Amino acid sequence: MARPAIRHTRREFLKTSAALAAGAGATLPFAAPAVGQRPKLVYWCYQFLKSSDDARMNFAQEWAKKNNVDLQVTLVPLKEFLPKITAAIEAKATPDIVESNAVELRGRGQLLDVTDIYQKLEKTYGGWVGNAHKFMLEPDRRVHHIMFGFQGFMLMTRDDLIREAGLTPPPATWVDMLAYAKKAQKLPRVFGLGIPVSNQTDSQVWEDMMKSYGARLADGAGKRVILGDHKKEVWEFLDYFTDVWKSGVLPPGVTTWDNTMNNSTFQSGKVVFILNPITLSLWLEENNPELLAKTGHYTYPRGPKELVHPVTFGSRAILKYTKVPELAKQFLWDSMEPGKMDREYSVSQWGPVLKAYLPFDVWKKKPFMKGLVEMSLRGEPQGWPDVFNDAWREQFTNTTISRMLQRLVVDNWSRDKAFVETLDTLNRIYAKYA
Amino acid sequence: MAITQRSATVAVPVGAAPRGARRLPWFRREALEGIGLLTPTALILFGLVLYPFFYAIWLAFTDKAVGSPGSFVGLANFRYVLGAPQFSAALVNTAVLTVSAVAIKFVLGMAVAVVLNQQIRGRNFFRAFLLLPWVMPAFVVYLVWRWLYDPLSGLINYALLDLGLIGSPIAFLSDRSTAMASVIVAHCWRAFPFFAISFLAGMQTIPQEMYDAAQVDGAARWQQFRHITLPSLYHIIGVVLMLSTIWTANAFEPVYLLTGGGPSDATVVYTLLAYQMGMVNMRLGEAAAVSMLFLPLLVGLILVVTSLLQRRAH
Repeated sequence: MARPAIRHTRREFLKTSAALAAGAGATLPFAAPAVGQRPKLVYWCYQFLKSSDDARMNFAQEWAKKNNVDLQVTLVPLKEFLPKITAAIEAKATPDIVESNAVELRGRGQLLDVTDIYQKLEKTYGGWVGNAHKFMLEPDRRVHHIMFGFQGFMLMTRDDLIREAGLTPPPATWVDMLAYAKKAQKLPRVFGLGIPVSNQTDSQVWEDMMKSYGARLADGAGKRVILGDHKKEVWEFLDYFTDVWKSGVLPPGVTTWDNTMNNSTFQSGKVVFILNPITLSLWLEENNPELLAKTGHYTYPRGPKELVHPVTFGSRAILKYTKVPELAKQFLWDSMEPGKMDREYSVSQWGPVLKAYLPFDVWKKKPFMKGLVEMSLRGEPQGWPDVFNDAWREQFTNTTISRMLQRLVVDNWSRDKAFVETLDTLNRIYAKYA
Repeated sequence: MAITQRSATVAVPVGAAPRGARRLPWFRREALEGIGLLTPTALILFGLVLYPFFYAIWLAFTDKAVGSPGSFVGLANFRYVLGAPQFSAALVNTAVLTVSAVAIKFVLGMAVAVVLNQQIRGRNFFRAFLLLPWVMPAFVVYLVWRWLYDPLSGLINYALLDLGLIGSPIAFLSDRSTAMASVIVAHCWRAFPFFAISFLAGMQTIPQEMYDAAQVDGAARWQQFRHITLPSLYHIIGVVLMLSTIWTANAFEPVYLLTGGGPSDATVVYTLLAYQMGMVNMRLGEAAAVSMLFLPLLVGLILVVTSLLQRRAH
């Protein structure tokens, strides 16, 4: 026999729903106390080399498990970091910890003071390597980010092709590098120099070259543009650049290369020289050991006046908006533990930042890692010999010097016209921060 | 006889209120009801459209940077942006990209729509296939095009060299003379299906009898297209052109992913300039000023397109 359908009135339905909701609400605090009590930490992890990213992600997850922290990790490529953090700050939805070279955030007062962690690390692990303190300490002796590795461009060369051409690597000067490139390249398959001259930041290596000819963008205080006083040095550098451009050592397309093209061109064996971090070597180690065996890693060549080889870095910082500052500081401290760093350095592109890291075997095991230690010991902050500040950073991300070079070779402007425009751009940028 | 006052929606009998109840006059009641009904829409409109719009205008007059509240700086941002070397290039490039890309997409879309409106074999397959470029993520499309254009390993150069049509590779994206054209080609490839599908939908609403009558009168194919198809599509063309003008002028991905605005400033467009100033340099006031300065250009383009078409339609 079919059962008659039970019909409920709307009033009954609403009553039952309300009772159920009230019951659920009353029991929730007892049902899930553990979830409610676990502190939450949002961590934006720098994404670049997979093995390195994995090492840091794995550590973070193990750390969270051990400390009963609800950790949310997001991998953020360097190129996307600024747009993402800009949006996050404006939306008031910031992460607690970020990995980047967070100087732009420090300049805008977005970071938590971590001077205590800096001092504790310095004391516990024998002090900082090379110029690491210059990257972190501010004029008032406060610190807002903790470096975990030096990173920088090195001269990477196809030593096999150079020796085939009867030369001995490395070239000592930029002029030598051009001469080597001309002699070692095998057109149309292998070009001499894989250096972008585009609107991407990798093109700013030309700024380093220009400075090795004696030019300076701004005065010692980093406030007033003085490039106009260095016209002679700039002209010498432009002579060199014109030689490079006319000699055909640059592959076609460099004026719109992005920051990956120098890597991929070297990986495919199409260039003799590039300027790149050793991420490429770590990639070759896994994917093309034959090419790695033919690759040399050297410091930058010298200019006529001096050697300019600034390096950059990776660091962790805590956003000032965090609700768990002590926990975030604990993470910063734990993540610098030598045993952990030893494992991480062996699969990463970073050079050592604390003296306790110098005895690690990793620096001896791989030939290209030796260069990293040398770079960490000698490297000067980005922008050097100019002052690294917001103004310098803005002209850097605007690729001011590379744009000047493009005016010459893409737009066929005269040197004077391109130089005047560059001076004007620099003056306008520096004036905003004066 | 009961007198009824007719509103736009309902007929309300005058003086039909129950005795003793305090009633507002009908016009006040109707006005209140109207306001009540419009309020949610007005609030949504204000929150989602007007507030951000006027906030952007306000930002353009402040030195707002990321993480700072910003203070009023008058026209300083506008002076800074107008003095930037890339600004004039961005102005010209945005206009060139918008006008030429919209024109090409229009011609291409119309041609494809006309073809797909015929009784051809596999018509449904081609109609579905047509949408492929439009549904693919922009990121994928432009990276593929970047590879196609590559002078060292790109398919186009490889084919041209192999066919003996060129002696050395062409740097399509890196030569000032070809960079913008290359960006436009890639953009049109991705975006023309919107035109084609919209026009095709419009063509299918045109009664066949009109074509039959025209044929009886001896009208040729071109005359049928000129005097029946095109006038019947004016309204659709107007909407499609207006939307496409807005989308193309605001296009960011093609330039960002293909050339980064280069070589030099050959392909820099205003969206890229605003991105550089706002998201890379973290100076939101300057980025807002860039957008404000381009607003008249965009509004002008849209007005020209719509007024021309409306005139034709009438």
